[in-house]
Amino acid sequence: MIGISHYLLVATALFAIGAFGVVAKRNAIAILMSIELMLNAVNINFVAIDRYLAPGGALGQLFAVFVIAVAAAEVSVGLALVISIYRQRRSVNLDDFNLLKW
Amino acid sequence: MSDQATIGIFLLLTLAFPAGAMAAAWLFRPAPIQSAEKRTPYECGVDTRGPSWMRFRVNYFLYALVFLAFDVETIFLYPWAVRFQALGLFAFVEMLVFIAILALGLWYAWKEGALQWY
Amino acid sequence: MPYGLLAPEIAVTSLGLVVLGVGLLSRPRPHPAVRVLAVSGLALVLCWVALTFTRQASFFGGVYQVDSFASFFRLLFLSAALLVLLMSGRYAARFGPRLAEWYAFLLFATAGMMVMAGSGDLIALYVGLELMTVSFYVLSGYLLADARSAEAGLKYLVLGALSSAVMLFGMSLVFATARSTVFTAIAAAVAAPAPSPPALLAGIALLAAGFAFKVAAVPFHMWAPDIYQGAPTPVTAYLAVASKAAAFAALLRVFLAALPGQLPDWQPVVALLAAVTIVAGNLIALAQTDVKRLLAYSSIAQAGYLLVGLSAANPYGLRGVLFYAMLYVFANVGAFAVLTLVEVDTGGTGLDSFNGLGQRAPMLAMVMTVCLLSLAGIPPLAGFAGKFYLFAGAVQAGYLWLAFVGLLMSMVSVYYYLSVAKAMYIGPAERTAPVTVPSPARLCLWVCLAATLAIGIYPGPLSALAQVSALLP
Repeated sequence: MIGISHYLLVATALFAIGAFGVVAKRNAIAILMSIELMLNAVNINFVAIDRYLAPGGALGQLFAVFVIAVAAAEVSVGLALVISIYRQRRSVNLDDFNLLKW
Repeated sequence: MSDQATIGIFLLLTLAFPAGAMAAAWLFRPAPIQSAEKRTPYECGVDTRGPSWMRFRVNYFLYALVFLAFDVETIFLYPWAVRFQALGLFAFVEMLVFIAILALGLWYAWKEGALQWY
Repeated sequence: MPYGLLAPEIAVTSLGLVVLGVGLLSRPRPHPAVRVLAVSGLALVLCWVALTFTRQASFFGGVYQVDSFASFFRLLFLSAALLVLLMSGRYAARFGPRLAEWYAFLLFATAGMMVMAGSGDLIALYVGLELMTVSFYVLSGYLLADARSAEAGLKYLVLGALSSAVMLFGMSLVFATARSTVFTAIAAAVAAPAPSPPALLAGIALLAAGFAFKVAAVPFHMWAPDIYQGAPTPVTAYLAVASKAAAFAALLRVFLAALPGQLPDWQPVVALLAAVTIVAGNLIALAQTDVKRLLAYSSIAQAGYLLVGLSAANPYGLRGVLFYAMLYVFANVGAFAVLTLVEVDTGGTGLDSFNGLGQRAPMLAMVMTVCLLSLAGIPPLAGFAGKFYLFAGAVQAGYLWLAFVGLLMSMVSVYYYLSVAKAMYIGPAERTAPVTVPSPARLCLWVCLAATLAIGIYPGPLSALAQVSALLP
């Protein structure tokens, strides 16, 4: 029987994969994708918790809807920044962006 | 009627519809012409040439960005539409405000030339 | 419901939309009215908040709170936004045709901060937070022609989104244990004296990490110096002052309104974060030769002082957080205003651009010195009174060692703050021409100077205001 713990495990695994991607990848677009993975892991968490632990209120679903909308805004801005930086540097590799020391 | 039967009928209908449309086309079409053109992946538009791993114009990305933003923002319309009756006039006005703000964004994108193809 | 109390949020958002629309109508050169509109609109909203300060209301079943805590921070954000708008006039010329959007994004960020301070629910808090940070992503990368600005924007976005995701995961775990996202309901659900369940502890840890990132506490600070240095200077000023205060407002809301029962769990962590932040921020600031980067590290250290107040978690310390956050606005915006004018004049932000400023522009040099000494906590300036409350609160709560660390590092900080003063007064002067200061910027400087002196000499009124506004566990 699939229960809440399965969903939480999947979400945690997805979150960890995303976090690893952010740390390990050097391509700005791949990093944005990894961040999306992390946010979607959070969405799975919210919807599963809403269904199994706090049914009736739809608070978790609401939260997931907001996360989706905000994530889209964030990625739009991120891609726009990547385009603007690519125009100057001809690169989307974060390691090349070294005018400011990390 | 049980839910399963409803789903079954829908399934049959969805299969029957494309089958019927294709059968009708097969009945009424003129005799097919065989040519090399017919075997290309796309019958209309520009033929692909060279590798597909190529650089795209930045316009594609700008279009995609504008689309992404507006496409996802409509997510708020769904819960509102489902509970439209219960939410009443106040939520309706709220949605109008929301759409007005989105429209302002669209106007901005328009003026900014993000919708222009050149 | 008294919707008039939501008027500030609605007004600032609408003002941003109107400014955007006016900017669109007056293409390609934004109409000068845009600036007047933004400044006068913000001033009106500020007056409205001040007049309705004592009125309180709770909206949508506790999801949004307009209380004196929210109103205090609204005053703070609005004053900071006004001061930044006033001082940014000549620098903003660099934004060229995108001037109207700069005002609009600043207003949207302000609206987001106000929502953060007023939120009584995790969802509202998250939406406010993202409205603010997404605006700042754009503003950090605002100088399209400047490679460093674009780089700062992208770095801020990647690290900011990462920290938001971490914070969200923490929120989902808190939601799992409390089964609600409303702060009062969370507090009621997890108030049991039994040891906190592991899921809740993990949630608190992730939330703390996310917030530590947003307030730039060590070891989650690595983004701050880069972004502060790369972003346009007025944006940096607003980022260092208002976004930090907003993150603190949200942090106080979550930890004191939703998780007061877990005080023993998070208090030592916050105290440790505060100590590490103060030590690292001040020590790294010693080595800086660029004033913008120096102010970035100084603002990291200041976040550490504010954390001291939260870790004390008693009336004295929490009043100190509000008090210090407010005086920090004036001291830091004053310093950044001088930096902006110097950058416009000399084209650089290095220590050497300040050489001879004492002769070239005595007023700028004086304001800079007073503001920096206030940040260092030298009596009789405002910073001294603020640090007094914070450290006294820590001592009361039994964190004597923390107060000692803070005091010691404040003394260290005098060194690097004075290095700027040294450059201004006894540095070799290559330039002699006086620096032109436009009158709005002059007004901003006078306000910062007067507030820093007045709060320091006569801290009573602000202290009383902070006391009635402070949120208690």
